[in-house]
Amino acid sequence: MLTGNGTFLASPDVARQERRYSRAEVALAVALLLPNLVLLGIFTYRPLLDNIRLSFFSWNISSPQATFVGLQNYVEWVQRDDTVQILMNTAVFMGVAVFGSMALGLGLALLLDQKLFGRGVVRSLVFAPYVISGAAIGIAFQFVFDPTFGVVQDLLARVGVAAPNFYKHSGWAMFMITATYVWKNVGYVFVIYLAALQARRVDLDEAAEIDGTGQLRKFWRVTLPQLRPTTFFLSVTVMLNSLQVFDIINVMTRGGPYGTGTTTMVFQVYQETFVNQRAGYGATVATIMFLILLVITMVQVALQERGRRA
Amino acid sequence: MHITRRALLTTVGGIAAAATLTSCAGTGGSSAGGGDPKNIRFMSNHPGKSQDLEQKIIDAFVAENPEYSVELIDGGSDYEELAQKFNAQLAGGDVPDIVVASDVTWFPLALNEAITPMDELWSSGKVDSDDYVDTLREDYVFEGKHYGLPYSRSTPLFYFNSELWEKAGLDGAPTTWDEFDEMAAKLLKDNPDVAPLVVPDGSNYLDWYFQGMIWTFGGSYSKEWDMAFTDDKSLEAGRFLAEQVNKGHIKITADPTNEFGTGLAGALLESTGSLGGLKEQAAIEFDTAYLPGPKPGCPTGGAGLAITNKIDDERKASAMKFVEFATNQDNTVTFSQATGYMPVRKSALEHPDEQAYLKDEPRAQTAIDQLAENTQSQDYARCFLPGGGDRIGEGLDRITTGGEDVEKIFEELQKQSQEVYERDIEPKL
Repeated sequence: MLTGNGTFLASPDVARQERRYSRAEVALAVALLLPNLVLLGIFTYRPLLDNIRLSFFSWNISSPQATFVGLQNYVEWVQRDDTVQILMNTAVFMGVAVFGSMALGLGLALLLDQKLFGRGVVRSLVFAPYVISGAAIGIAFQFVFDPTFGVVQDLLARVGVAAPNFYKHSGWAMFMITATYVWKNVGYVFVIYLAALQARRVDLDEAAEIDGTGQLRKFWRVTLPQLRPTTFFLSVTVMLNSLQVFDIINVMTRGGPYGTGTTTMVFQVYQETFVNQRAGYGATVATIMFLILLVITMVQVALQERGRRA
Repeated sequence: MHITRRALLTTVGGIAAAATLTSCAGTGGSSAGGGDPKNIRFMSNHPGKSQDLEQKIIDAFVAENPEYSVELIDGGSDYEELAQKFNAQLAGGDVPDIVVASDVTWFPLALNEAITPMDELWSSGKVDSDDYVDTLREDYVFEGKHYGLPYSRSTPLFYFNSELWEKAGLDGAPTTWDEFDEMAAKLLKDNPDVAPLVVPDGSNYLDWYFQGMIWTFGGSYSKEWDMAFTDDKSLEAGRFLAEQVNKGHIKITADPTNEFGTGLAGALLESTGSLGGLKEQAAIEFDTAYLPGPKPGCPTGGAGLAITNKIDDERKASAMKFVEFATNQDNTVTFSQATGYMPVRKSALEHPDEQAYLKDEPRAQTAIDQLAENTQSQDYARCFLPGGGDRIGEGLDRITTGGEDVEKIFEELQKQSQEVYERDIEPKL
């Protein structure tokens, strides 16, 4: 059946018929998919399944023995005092990382999409932090935020303002690590947005200009809707990446101050597994984090799908 | 033949289920038996920035024993990172033969049989265990067996800025914490921008340094396996620490050595292992003293060398041979002088080079004298409970820079430590 806009819409009978594959088609599909599926199975799904299995055990990572404890680790996670704070830290870090990186990245992409002198060099400079290791950036930014010798302290002192101790107040410590991560990550968002801007339909912009549309309205009504698939892609990838940030936190705050001041779920996995040696509980936190991510991603996909249909 | 999508999905689901069941085989703790006993693998965090020195010791060992090769494996930047890497390798099965194990990390490894008792290896390897400093050697005893030999052993020292001290008219370092309170008030009055004493924060072993202070008040973190955070004397020590921070007498910071070395602090609590670095980099004249008493006011610390349990007996014997060599009289003298760590062999103290060195560098003698006169082995709650140091360090941060109530935090520490003991330790004892 051919629809009005020329696309082919399968009738239920045809669709049912299409679900049957010939042996040759299956063989081809298997030949093409199997190598990747094997690698995914070995390096992604088996560890994932193993992690879920471990979450039902009490296991000191130094020990060859693990004891089955059923749902005890999950019950402990629900009952523990620090769970809410760690969830909040994770949400705040993720939220600031996603919105901060995307707003700044889009802003820079819009700016450097213009014909400006030296924009090639600036584009490279903006992207450079993304390829530097998080640990190296964490160490470098300690010189920025150090309460005694840091750049921020020095700049504020010049205008007579006392710098906060970024390492001793949970809020400031969280600001410090999120700002550092956004600085590192903005280059990635910038590059993707820039590519999307350069691939957009310029004729629509020109039509809007001929119609006398203001710059802000043109951006809001013409440019931004064209970037919707890119925005969706970035929101998912930046969110997933931000939830896996470990190096910057480990180098700058080790999850502190006061134990859990900047501890996110992924840092808790490390802390429980390797510091407290409770690999079973660490696996439980990792499993819960996986489930949360799965739900968030599914919601994002559903929203994107609904937006596309609308 | 036609295959339906349902059939395909069923097959894939079956494979996934099978994979799940297969993955229930174990925790990766299989034996690492076999391997070349002449190829020794030594995992270290190079305490006291000793990587080059460790390589020289390895080269000397290989020159003396050409049938052996020794691989130096980088275990990270501190003892905790090294223990984490070692634990990961235990789970994976590819383990080193020898590992640096700190005062805090050796016990969980011994409890879980990840490292081997050394007593029999000493006998068969003809190791003169009596030549090791008794206090340091006995720190590694669990159920009557020794699980390590001392290597980079230390105590905290009281480093002080000689010039500032002289200007303030102070006669030597404080001998009690009350005396420190008086001295600090005077120092602060003369130099309002200089912290009288800087101490590392809870992420950098404040729990180790405070242990000496809590003992001088008659308290402790624990008495063997009985937690003692809420004892009156322990609480008094906690209140004293918080009060000193509030008065500005003590500054808790992540990088106190730098502040002291650049003249921004009057005194510093740091490990003997920092002596070498301070000698090279400090822009000030400084001296060393015991931690304030009354004695014992100072814990022992640092690390020893342990041998992995998963390797076979032949590899263990080879590992023991290298451990003995790395800590023999000559190497102890060299290592101790280069890093500032304490000599771990009695015979090293009698070595002419060491005696000449100590004569020229009396600041290094302080740690040796303090070991005999002012130290005590650490409390179980800090060094034997998993995560003990981190937990106490976090609590101390909360009562100092966080300004939280001492009673409340120490009660939490009591409860948490007791829970960890009952869950992770008691069933295995």
